[in-house]
Amino acid sequence: MAARRSRLELIFDILTSIQNKGGVIKPTHLMYKSNLSHKLLNNYMEELIQKELIVIEEHQVRKRKSASKVVRITDKGLGFLEEFRRIREFTDAFGL
Amino acid sequence: MYRLFYTPTWFNGWDIIFEAFIFIIALLIAAYSWRIYKLNKENQFAYLSLAFILISLGLLVKIGTNATLYFTPIREVALGALAPVVAGPQSNLQFADLFYRAGFFLQMVPILGAWLLIFFLSQKARKRLTRWYEVSQIALFIYLILLISVLANFKYMVFYLTSAVILSLIVLNYYKTYLNKNLNENTYLVMWSFILILFSNLSFIFVFAWENFYILGEVFLLIGFLLLLYVYRKVVRN
Repeated sequence: MAARRSRLELIFDILTSIQNKGGVIKPTHLMYKSNLSHKLLNNYMEELIQKELIVIEEHQVRKRKSASKVVRITDKGLGFLEEFRRIREFTDAFGL
Repeated sequence: MYRLFYTPTWFNGWDIIFEAFIFIIALLIAAYSWRIYKLNKENQFAYLSLAFILISLGLLVKIGTNATLYFTPIREVALGALAPVVAGPQSNLQFADLFYRAGFFLQMVPILGAWLLIFFLSQKARKRLTRWYEVSQIALFIYLILLISVLANFKYMVFYLTSAVILSLIVLNYYKTYLNKNLNENTYLVMWSFILILFSNLSFIFVFAWENFYILGEVFLLIGFLLLLYVYRKVVRN
């Protein structure tokens, strides 16, 4: 069984999931990709929106009358991903 | 002529330059590790930062004592400042002996502390276990550091021998980490940095036999830390 992810690792997984889908993803897909419950994902998304790492956008789908929401990663979010990858490399290098 | 140090005379000052570079490298790594700790609040980063701060502190003391011993103007200033403590008919000689011993003691304690911290950190996480286990290990380390620092003032090689033993354990831990982390290149380079630092300490042990071992030791130490700097730059620039 995989070890419990830390808070930062969870944020990293969420942002990576968005990045891997070209920077935009539907909330439901994000939930499955990041392997989080709906409630937990919402909690983290609130925090990420507050820290301006992601934004929620209305996306008009042609065949539908109503707009659907999508999650988009910001430049700040991309910067955070880069920083986290550096931290991970540093951690691996020094065996921490 | 009375000599308190083993360095070849022509090398006086060069070791200070080498150690100044190493001092800066150690501070860079300490600063980055501290930055990571501020982000994720995981203690191992704070400990790593402390380890490299201790290394830079030990080196700073070594630079200070060496500079005082090598260069007369600095020595005169230091003697003037410490005269009330060491005044006597042979004050110059007493001062040099006391000053060098105190400097060596203040160099050994932080550096041994740093090696022990890094050894502690390089162990696999599960071996660090519970808080009491960590506290008892830390208490043992502090006792050993102080004991060895006192003994090494009578026989300098005790310090370098102890450092070499701890460094060899660190190298072994990094080798295991390298194997466990799918042959991570950065871990391999860090392992080699500590191998070079180990070689430097082994060289310092034998300075009594041939003074050029001191130069060899300083060169190994510098290359070891330059390799650490390379790893740091590789990670930060990625």
